[in-house]
Amino acid sequence: MEKVTMTLTQVVQMITELKEVFKFTEKVIPLLQDLVEFMRDVVPLLEEINDRIAESTAKMPTASSKIDSVTSATEMATTEILDRVDAISASLNEIENKLQQIENARSEKQKIFAQILEEASLTEKGKELVERFKALSVCDNALFEVREKIKGINNETYNITLALQVQDITAQQLAAVNHLIINVHEKLSKLINNIHSSHFETTPEFSAKLDAPEKTTFDPEAKYDTSSARQDEIDKLIADQQKGGGGTASQDEIDKLFSGENNG
Amino acid sequence: MALKFLVVDDSVTMRRIVVNTLKNLGYDEIVEAEDGKDAFEKLQSTPGINFVITDWNMPNMTGLELTQAIRGDERFSDLPILMVTTRGVKEDIIQALKARVNNYVIKPFTPQVLQEKINQVLETT
Repeated sequence: MEKVTMTLTQVVQMITELKEVFKFTEKVIPLLQDLVEFMRDVVPLLEEINDRIAESTAKMPTASSKIDSVTSATEMATTEILDRVDAISASLNEIENKLQQIENARSEKQKIFAQILEEASLTEKGKELVERFKALSVCDNALFEVREKIKGINNETYNITLALQVQDITAQQLAAVNHLIINVHEKLSKLINNIHSSHFETTPEFSAKLDAPEKTTFDPEAKYDTSSARQDEIDKLIADQQKGGGGTASQDEIDKLFSGENNG
Repeated sequence: MALKFLVVDDSVTMRRIVVNTLKNLGYDEIVEAEDGKDAFEKLQSTPGINFVITDWNMPNMTGLELTQAIRGDERFSDLPILMVTTRGVKEDIIQALKARVNNYVIKPFTPQVLQEKINQVLETT
């Protein structure tokens, strides 16, 4: 057996150290008690947060599917509007064609009338009739005005068609939001499933994957900007590229194009 | 030479708007496709298509992939391609230029811009 030898000084030193440890423990114990109490309060809160996240996660598929429904609904509505606009345009075209026929016939009639008027103006009674007839020719302008109005309505209906480009742009914005929801859902589902599998016997049934929406590619930066600024900038880039010899631009050439005033 | 357009867009709305615009501009021969894959098939099966107007963001095959497929096929490598898209950031335009699109129109577009770009493409091809 090994013989333990210790000087008295060493024993005193150890006792002193032990005393310090006790002193420290005395200070730490209340802190630990506070910590335990804090944990006692926090754990239900964390469980509550966990439940809320689980609840929100469970709602995400609904949110995602509602966004899809909005996209489908706007597409259907847009198609209906386009149908009506097309129907209006078709009717206006028919009216325009009829008016053209009327105008052609009127033009022929006028030629004949011009001869009749010439003959009629030879007598006093004829002169009077000619004056009365000229007063009636005000209606000729009305026909021209109607045609102009129809042209205007046609332009306006076509402008409605062009404005409906907003549907494609909002559909892409919604697809971007949906993509984000799907990603967040996937990450939260994994997190919740991991927490449950490590702390609880039962695991919640969170599918980590949501059904991807039909439109899988989209532009998250899509915007409805009717100003010509963006097109002008693109035109300048392409014009510069064509000036540079056309064909396929090298990366260096393209970088050079973008390094100037087009930055930003 | 009469133009026969292939209009490619997965959005029914946009396809209709582009087709209506082309008709208003006086072009009557128009074939439609709902994505790049459909477009490339139609390009091979429909004779006489001599102008492609394509969106970028589409499922199955994007407009950029369609452009690359067209440029990679010697039968269609010189076919005029006009990209009509919402994508307007520099990197996208770089990619499109590298893929050899002939011109680029940002959505929402106006008929004037579409006509101008068609003319420009025809002048340079």
